[in-house]
Amino acid sequence: MRESSSLIAAVIAIALIKATPLIYAGLGGVLSENAGIVNIGLEGMMVGGAFSAVVASYYTHNLGLALGAAILTGALSASVLAYFAIRLRADQIIVGMAINVLSIGGAAFLVALIFGQAGATPEVTSFASLGGVTSGGLAALVTQPQRYALLWLALLLVAALHVFLYRTKAGLHLRAVGEEPRAAFTAGIDAFRIRYLATIVGGALAALGGAYLSVGELDLYSDGMVAGRGFIALAAVIFGRWTPLGTAGACLFFGFFSSLQIALQRASVPAQLLEMLPYVLTIVAIAGLLGRSRAPAADGVPFRP
Amino acid sequence: MLLAKSNPFAAYAALLQGALGSTAGAAETLTQTTMLLFTGLGVAIAFRAGLFNIGAEGQLVMGALCAAVAGAALHLPPPIEIALCFAAGAAGGAAWAFIAGWLRARHGASEVITTIMLNYIAFFAVNYLVSGPLRGSAAAPETAEIWHTAILQPLIPGTRLTLAFPLALIAAVAAWWWLQRSVFGYELRTLGRSERAARYAGINTSRVIMQTMALSGALAGLGGASEVLGLLHRFNAELSPGYGFTSIAVALLAQSSPLAVIGSAFFFGILQNGALSMQALAGVPKDLVSVIEGLVILFMAVNWWGGRMRLHSLDNVAEGDDVLAAAAAQPP
Repeated sequence: MRESSSLIAAVIAIALIKATPLIYAGLGGVLSENAGIVNIGLEGMMVGGAFSAVVASYYTHNLGLALGAAILTGALSASVLAYFAIRLRADQIIVGMAINVLSIGGAAFLVALIFGQAGATPEVTSFASLGGVTSGGLAALVTQPQRYALLWLALLLVAALHVFLYRTKAGLHLRAVGEEPRAAFTAGIDAFRIRYLATIVGGALAALGGAYLSVGELDLYSDGMVAGRGFIALAAVIFGRWTPLGTAGACLFFGFFSSLQIALQRASVPAQLLEMLPYVLTIVAIAGLLGRSRAPAADGVPFRP
Repeated sequence: MLLAKSNPFAAYAALLQGALGSTAGAAETLTQTTMLLFTGLGVAIAFRAGLFNIGAEGQLVMGALCAAVAGAALHLPPPIEIALCFAAGAAGGAAWAFIAGWLRARHGASEVITTIMLNYIAFFAVNYLVSGPLRGSAAAPETAEIWHTAILQPLIPGTRLTLAFPLALIAAVAAWWWLQRSVFGYELRTLGRSERAARYAGINTSRVIMQTMALSGALAGLGGASEVLGLLHRFNAELSPGYGFTSIAVALLAQSSPLAVIGSAFFFGILQNGALSMQALAGVPKDLVSVIEGLVILFMAVNWWGGRMRLHSLDNVAEGDDVLAAAAAQPP
């Protein structure tokens, strides 16, 4: 009996740990998409954040600076998306794809260049080294708050973004711009400024998710480590119907499946079929088979006043 | 390259030397071109209909798996066997893309999202199949080797260049002719200009969307089949180094013109094949090629020399443009 309850606690703990990077990127997606900018580049922004955090930690041994570097990189690549999508009115999907290819290729290129070895960086100072030995299980999340600081911050941000979007004037303006930019513009809301800010902050959030993977959960960057989490986050945004709480719920749900997969490794359920599930569910959700799932009306549509 | 502290010209020279400097190198470049040509054509045709098929990679993988299964199961004389294997590959890719087409036409689900998700589903599905039900090799998670009559022999002994290359060229010309001269091509292009205008013109847009996606996937599936029949002779889950993703850059650089895809596939074939020798001879990490690819996609998104790339149909721009679109899409 005791064993099964500790197993359940471990599964919940792993689900939270696995969901955290998705939550960061998912919130980034929620923010920009509610303002009308589709961000397919979440994956690339996570890669950029993961890589730059490791580089900063390698040279400064300071985790604060590592997170700062990630935020900066994410904001920078999101400004590229914002500039092309808002100012040049380029197709947002294509620009997002470009950011993915550029970030993944750029990180691989720089890993080889800076560290002289292809594939992975050396080990650096990370959150994993804080708080001593891992005791594992749910209790560790509470007893080692420093080590899991990024996890707690993610949960805090979910609440903060919910309050911002639905309880503040700025949040209302942001959603207005995502639904009906022309009307918002006419009402005196600076649609361009809001779209820029939402995209850039969203990119910074996605990069934090990447940094969580590289200096939060592990202590290095390796090619392919983000492994499609940016796209799972994108799926979570749709699955969560473009709301912060829904998206975080979807991330926890997907995180729960990856922890279940670890728990069921010896069982007869093929791991690949479990891994497939988030993607299948997203297709089911977007096809409207689970009730209405509607994007903000002006999501992905360039605005010209 | 300046970052890498090496002479850019030396790096380019090494790249070209590796890609085109020898018969073996050139043949390998054309082999890569073949794959990019099939997948790039698929993406380009979807673009012309205003559909963004990001799923070429998954469609390629599904096509390759179907071709490998057919190649192992059938024991027929070479021309029939090979034709059937290619057909199986095309069918596999078409079926996989059709899912996205159907969801878009019948349920209004964005093909951008569904094709991304279908890529991942395809990877996990084939990984499961080759490690379980379809595993045909004790040594590795792969399918059984295809029957000897299904193997495409190299055109130049010692290289991997096969009949698939001329087939891809024919496919490009056929696609061009078809887009410009057939009724379906006309419907497809009208849909690409404005979905609403297409509907006013009496075109069954749902049907065209589904057919276009299936055709797009069939082309990617043919790419997968040529990889299996000509190069690997069996299927494993790592068979594509990302041709389906590079194909998006290929189609964009060609501005979705099937004939221009030949040139842009060749360009990326040179880049991909020359990258390794650039790394070995000039010390520039091979991943520079991905950076170039990303920049191409980024700049093609704006298309600075002739209007903006327009994927989303005119419907999103302004109501009045419909009239223009309908006028522009006069029957041939």
